[in-house]
Amino acid sequence: MQDAMTMLQENLAIFAPLIAVQIILSVLALVSLFRTDETNGPKWMWALIILFINTLGPIAYFIFGRRGDV
Amino acid sequence: MQWLTIFRKECLESTRNFKWMWVPLVFILLCIVDPLTTYYLPQILEATGGLPEGSTFEIPTPPPAQVMMMSVVQMNTIGILILALITMGTIAGEKKAGIAELVLVKPVSYLSYVTAKWAAYSLIILASVFVGLLASWYYVNLLFGELAFSSMLVTFLFYGLWMVFLLGISLFMNTLTKSPGLTLFFTMSATIFLSAVSGMLSHLFEWSPAQLTAHLNTYLASGSLPDVIWGATAITIAAIALLLFLATITLKKKELA
Repeated sequence: MQDAMTMLQENLAIFAPLIAVQIILSVLALVSLFRTDETNGPKWMWALIILFINTLGPIAYFIFGRRGDV
Repeated sequence: MQWLTIFRKECLESTRNFKWMWVPLVFILLCIVDPLTTYYLPQILEATGGLPEGSTFEIPTPPPAQVMMMSVVQMNTIGILILALITMGTIAGEKKAGIAELVLVKPVSYLSYVTAKWAAYSLIILASVFVGLLASWYYVNLLFGELAFSSMLVTFLFYGLWMVFLLGISLFMNTLTKSPGLTLFFTMSATIFLSAVSGMLSHLFEWSPAQLTAHLNTYLASGSLPDVIWGATAITIAAIALLLFLATITLKKKELA
């Protein structure tokens, strides 16, 4: 784990875009979540999924979260 | 122009529900994961351990073009699933919700309804494939060595064609049923079936759309386009036209039954 952290720090320039894309994805999902009136299932559940499940959380929300979308 | 109206309505809808943003982002992720993990494989193995003490083995660095092919393969699995997921309700769901009746009761031809939808989704998917491959190309150049920009463009053109063909399949399946879930199932089954058959009997199905990726692999490995790719391209374009035509007919025949 120590090694992984130092590796991450040393190569920040390489990993930065990857992390940035993931953050943008989560933020977009959250913005969309707050804007929509109804979701499939409780809103707070989707908020947790988006925040804590990396990458797959926002994608799952975009595909299955919104009512009337599918 | 009624065609343009439907096309604009689709684009507007995709902007509103963020498809125009999240699909390209996901494709970027898909395309850069493999170059990164391949590059850091030795470090990852070291950090996670599990190798016996003192064991060393050389992991050969793949050539740059091969790494870009990995991104294509990645798109060819998860990317296709996403493509099928975002389009599964586009006609089927509208039929179910009664929106299709509202649209088609106006003087809108079935053909423009189908083709405008296909064009709108093609635009999203092509943009996503493009930015994904661009990201992959960037990382390949950064980590593995030089790869010509033209190789990336050629990969985009032929791979984009295959994706647009899959959209044709998805729209056709959309007209068969009212259930988005069933549409997804049909689209994925058809894609897997086509890929499996063309892959197993590749000498018979050289011109199959599913072989476009195999030909791309040859291109990236050798640097020159194999002749069969043009046959496959022609067949794919014809198949797209046929699929959209069939979709129009089934939509009309079922008359929203």
